Amino acid sequence: MSWPTISRKPSGDGTRATYHESDCPMDMRIKKLLFVTKFEELGYDALETLLSLRKAFLEHIVFLYVIERDKVAMQRGVGFKRDEAIRQKEAANIRFIDWAERLFVQGMEVGVYIQIGSLAAEVAKAVQKEEADLVVIGRSQKSTLEQFYSGSTVTELIRRLSVPVLVYKPAPELPFAMGKPFDRPLLATDWSPASMRAVDFLINMKPLIQEVRVVHVVDQGSIEGSSAMQAQKARKDAKQRLEEVCARFESAGIPARSHVYVGDPKEEIEKALRECQATLSVLGSSAKTNWVERVIGSTPRHIAEKSFFPTLLIPPERRSNGG
Amino acid sequence: MGKRVLVVDDDPDVRLFNTTVLEENGYEPLEAENGEDGLQMIRAEQPDLVILDVLMPRQSGIRLYRKLKTHAELKNVKVLIVSGITQKAFLRSQQALTEFGGTPVPEPEFYLEKPVEADVLADHIKKAIG
Repeated sequence: MSWPTISRKPSGDGTRATYHESDCPMDMRIKKLLFVTKFEELGYDALETLLSLRKAFLEHIVFLYVIERDKVAMQRGVGFKRDEAIRQKEAANIRFIDWAERLFVQGMEVGVYIQIGSLAAEVAKAVQKEEADLVVIGRSQKSTLEQFYSGSTVTELIRRLSVPVLVYKPAPELPFAMGKPFDRPLLATDWSPASMRAVDFLINMKPLIQEVRVVHVVDQGSIEGSSAMQAQKARKDAKQRLEEVCARFESAGIPARSHVYVGDPKEEIEKALRECQATLSVLGSSAKTNWVERVIGSTPRHIAEKSFFPTLLIPPERRSNGG
Repeated sequence: MGKRVLVVDDDPDVRLFNTTVLEENGYEPLEAENGEDGLQMIRAEQPDLVILDVLMPRQSGIRLYRKLKTHAELKNVKVLIVSGITQKAFLRSQQALTEFGGTPVPEPEFYLEKPVEADVLADHIKKAIG
């Protein structure tokens, strides 16, 4: 497999190494990554698998650890749990110093935030302050019932942010997906503007990608009661549109294949990920409000929360950046 | 008026500690909470010494140090690094950046690994700028 030539030109002070690609949309480049961790769900091993993003512009990693306010907040008879806040802060600081040393010696730029507050709000603030291009978080451990009552962190982040969110899950049960999340991404498109923005994002990841699979799921309900001819026409139309997306990838030098599935998008996307031995699912996300998502559900959120695969959620373009 | 010392550190407790040591020893402290603000203040205030942390938001001490030492007008500003990052890791990171095509920079003259006692800090400041 051969890629179009990419020139890597370091600047004089050694702090920038830039790929010169006239066809890469500038606003979708990942130069700075915000890595949000509580250490249990996302460790240095996960971070290390993301260092391949250096081939595609990454030069700066910012760590964020949030001490949840309700764990240290004022409580009757106890007051502000200052000792607990200090204990958590120092423990996080020690871990981040260790991680930072490993990254600094590789020439990466590193920053850190340790904050007390709510996770989504602190992520939004850090994205805005740092002008981060990508947020990486671990999978929520909350059950569905807890999510319904408390609101999903993923949903809240998508609502607040205009940058992509990677819900990262090292998946030991999927050996082909380990260690190289951008090798074989699967883009599940519903033709939304955010899905189309995901195409630009993946084109920027060209140095990392072996092949892209592009999938559309025709909702079973939309063809029920239709004649065989109508169902075939729906499939053919979808396939044609998918081929147009594939052509964009191919013209950027990324091999791409298209697939049409029929059924429940949540189930069919998971099926497609396994059948294609994908390493990452990529979905455009809508900016639905929390209550809408809770009532009617959301395919991107479902995949992000439930799938075995790392999931990259691309938000629609918004007027303002960050939080 | 005493010599001016800029403390660049994102931790307000560390800034308070350092500025207190400076005031008690007759220096005039200035403060910045990240590398970007620090660089702006160095340009604007031209302090006699910069006490620099390494791991900070916006811009690390590693990049700020490199910018200072490769800048024609700022390269003689004295720097005391006070950080949880080891001196060895700091030096290796500068080597890595030089290998990526950057200009070689001199090793920092003064480096203290956190935590630092007040008298040790005061001694190093005195050694650096008298």
